[in-house]
Amino acid sequence: MLRFTQILASLFAVGLLVSCESTSSPFEGPPTVDVEAAPPESLSELQLFLWDPGEGFVYNERVVPYELNTPLFSDYALKERAIYVPEGETMGYDGEGVFSFPVGSVIVKTFYFAPDMREPLVDRELIETRVLMHTSEGWEAWPYIWNEEQTDAVLSPSGATRALSFIDPQGEPREASYLVPQRNQCSSCHVRNIGEGGEAVLTPIGPAARHLNRDLDYGAGAENQLAHFLDVGILNALPAMTPAAFDFRRIEADGVDAIPAAEVDFAARSYLDANCAHCHSPEGTAGVTSQLFLNHDNEDDFRLGVCKRPGSAGGGTFGRTYDLVPGDPEDSILYLRVETEEVGAMMPQLGRSVEHTMGSALLYRWIAEMEPVDCGPMMPPPGG
Amino acid sequence: MRKTTWILMVALAFGLAACDDGAPADGDAGPGDAGSSGFENADCDDFDTANCVRVEGGDAQGLLDAVNTIDSDTTIVLGAGTFELSNQVTIRGVNTLNLVGQGMDETILAFTSATSQINGVDVIADGFLVQDLTVLDAPKDGIRVEDSDGVTFRRIKATWSEPGLSTNGAYGIYPVRSLNVLVEDSVAERSSDAGLYVGQCINVVVRNNIVRENVAGLEIENTQYADVYGNLAENNTAGIVAFDLPGNPVVGRDVRLRDNMILNNNHENFAPGGTVALIPPGTGTFALASRRIEITGNTYTGNQTGDIAVLSGLAIEEASVWELETSTLVGDWEDLGLLEGATPGTVTNFRTENVVISGNTHTDGGLAPEPHGDFGVLIRVLFTEDPVPSVIYDSIGEEFSTDPTMHTNVNRICVGGNTGGTGVASLDVPSQLLSPMSPILVVADAPFAPFDCTTIEGDPIVVPTF
Repeated sequence: MLRFTQILASLFAVGLLVSCESTSSPFEGPPTVDVEAAPPESLSELQLFLWDPGEGFVYNERVVPYELNTPLFSDYALKERAIYVPEGETMGYDGEGVFSFPVGSVIVKTFYFAPDMREPLVDRELIETRVLMHTSEGWEAWPYIWNEEQTDAVLSPSGATRALSFIDPQGEPREASYLVPQRNQCSSCHVRNIGEGGEAVLTPIGPAARHLNRDLDYGAGAENQLAHFLDVGILNALPAMTPAAFDFRRIEADGVDAIPAAEVDFAARSYLDANCAHCHSPEGTAGVTSQLFLNHDNEDDFRLGVCKRPGSAGGGTFGRTYDLVPGDPEDSILYLRVETEEVGAMMPQLGRSVEHTMGSALLYRWIAEMEPVDCGPMMPPPGG
Repeated sequence: MRKTTWILMVALAFGLAACDDGAPADGDAGPGDAGSSGFENADCDDFDTANCVRVEGGDAQGLLDAVNTIDSDTTIVLGAGTFELSNQVTIRGVNTLNLVGQGMDETILAFTSATSQINGVDVIADGFLVQDLTVLDAPKDGIRVEDSDGVTFRRIKATWSEPGLSTNGAYGIYPVRSLNVLVEDSVAERSSDAGLYVGQCINVVVRNNIVRENVAGLEIENTQYADVYGNLAENNTAGIVAFDLPGNPVVGRDVRLRDNMILNNNHENFAPGGTVALIPPGTGTFALASRRIEITGNTYTGNQTGDIAVLSGLAIEEASVWELETSTLVGDWEDLGLLEGATPGTVTNFRTENVVISGNTHTDGGLAPEPHGDFGVLIRVLFTEDPVPSVIYDSIGEEFSTDPTMHTNVNRICVGGNTGGTGVASLDVPSQLLSPMSPILVVADAPFAPFDCTTIEGDPIVVPTF
């Protein structure tokens, strides 16, 4: 009897019993997002989600997790993504680009690692959560780094670097030098020249129809993500003819060789679109400089790299001449830069310190199976 | 308002002293007060900005916190000392920003331990000044500024610890796609591509800098209205060069390379790849796919392969690659008379034309051409006995003739009034590629037809003043 009283008292003291009685939600009301205010010091203050090592990610109302068909590779980091749309508002459907988000929306992406990525849910450690807030003046990006106790994440505008060791999904031991980007580095990937007069503006990258059109289990079995968005009232429309990018889970499950030859181009172009086109597109920062366009809808083979010399590749050419030599991946700078782990040469510039073996194998096969093209003899170089 | 609050919060949290109206808030270490803080020469009151943040010498975290939390119209003053950085100094979302150290030998941003593929200082900001500091061992580029209007580099150094390593970063001082750029009194050395690179910029002055031990010392690429003078280019693979690359929406024009010292640019080519890897050591200057260029009053000494080469863009890429959609071009180009491309709605910029080379002094050039790359081999084969002529012209686009009076000069390449040197070699490159023994025209005495002209055709070259 005494013991029961003690337990009750301690439950009251931490407020657990009270909150359990009043509501089943562990949150104190709906998300407390004020995108026009300074970002809070602690991620938990936004009340978007909680992390419980036992339960996993627990979401507040109007915060909906999602996954991408072909995700961006970041040193094998596992990512938990979610969208928050304010009550009474919806995202505007777009068949090509990123959905239009109402002001007040927030996108959160949490990066975590497990000691053995073949069992990604065992002993996982949260590293950072990136928060994109849609203010009345545009998107703002804020990095939060998780504390050692894994109880909360702290606003960390200047980022960090972390040395990590883990077993990758293929069972290979990996040593990564993982970069938590500083606030200003977010623009390296997220800025596109789509503002009025071509000005550079921060934009989300992932949440476009083609990337979101896939299934996810929201607790009642597999469900199409976009249909779920519509159901819970955060998306305004869903046309039947919704495009879908290649589902990279097929490669993760069965390997690159299992993909039918007819789908290799689609898979590779989806991969390039997700991993490269945020910079290498007509609106992207590197695209403008290099004129290499890897967006899925680029139809210009030369701008895709075919027999194209790089702009200013620095150490990234490996003595090769052309970005992409059809039929010859080993002579294609595009492949070599994705495959290498050499600092100064590897692509993408941020977010990768180890090779994505599945991704580079896909690009290898894509180039190898292209109809060979003679890019021409070496012409005399400049010099006197 | 929101941002101001935020900045104050961070400044307090990290103990940074913010100082308004140019007065040091904490009262210590003002000019002349050489304490342990490392603030000696430059301080807040030297700069006319609304905000100022002082970061103690060596406080790398403080520097990163500062650049990620500042508002526009801010001066960041860095104390003397070495800042060991593992991530780049990224500046975004603000305008009118000064990043100022205590001198290039005093304030050093060292990226020696960086393990990511980062630049040293990476900036997009209108009205950006970087002054009095060194960037050491950046994995990629030393100081990169892009998409900015009003950029000043003054008394800064970009360098790497070891000379001649192909693993050194690509570019030292790197303004790109920017307007109104001034680079002065600075040093760029040991980069594995170009030490001081100005690309896709409009209105540029590059003066009184030193570039040495780079693959390419000083490059002006796809740039309009540039005055490049008083610079010393020594012991690079190639000294000072001007060219266009294909496919770029800025067509280069009105570039003046004048009164520079271009000495002994014979450094081994240590580029890990790219177009510059093909440049033969011993190259003074080349103009490639360029128009409206003046190369005047320069001193060329001891460049062993040759002093000046004038080359068509067709020497590196076929004509179709050089097509530019006119709707995408930026800057001034309508008056250039660019050739139309085969595709409707395009022009091409491979042609090198309207180049004046005069008043230069040539000493000991072309005495030992390096057979490096196809072009180097060609030069070496052609000039086994005599020194390589001071100016080499590939004659692409001309009616070639061994009789000078019959040789056309439709590209209007003017060579005259130079001192020393050994004249012009007009190479029949297309024929040379087929047969190394085909004709070559060497004219030893100036002035000589058909290159007998000394002024730009049309309006005078336009360059900005700063």
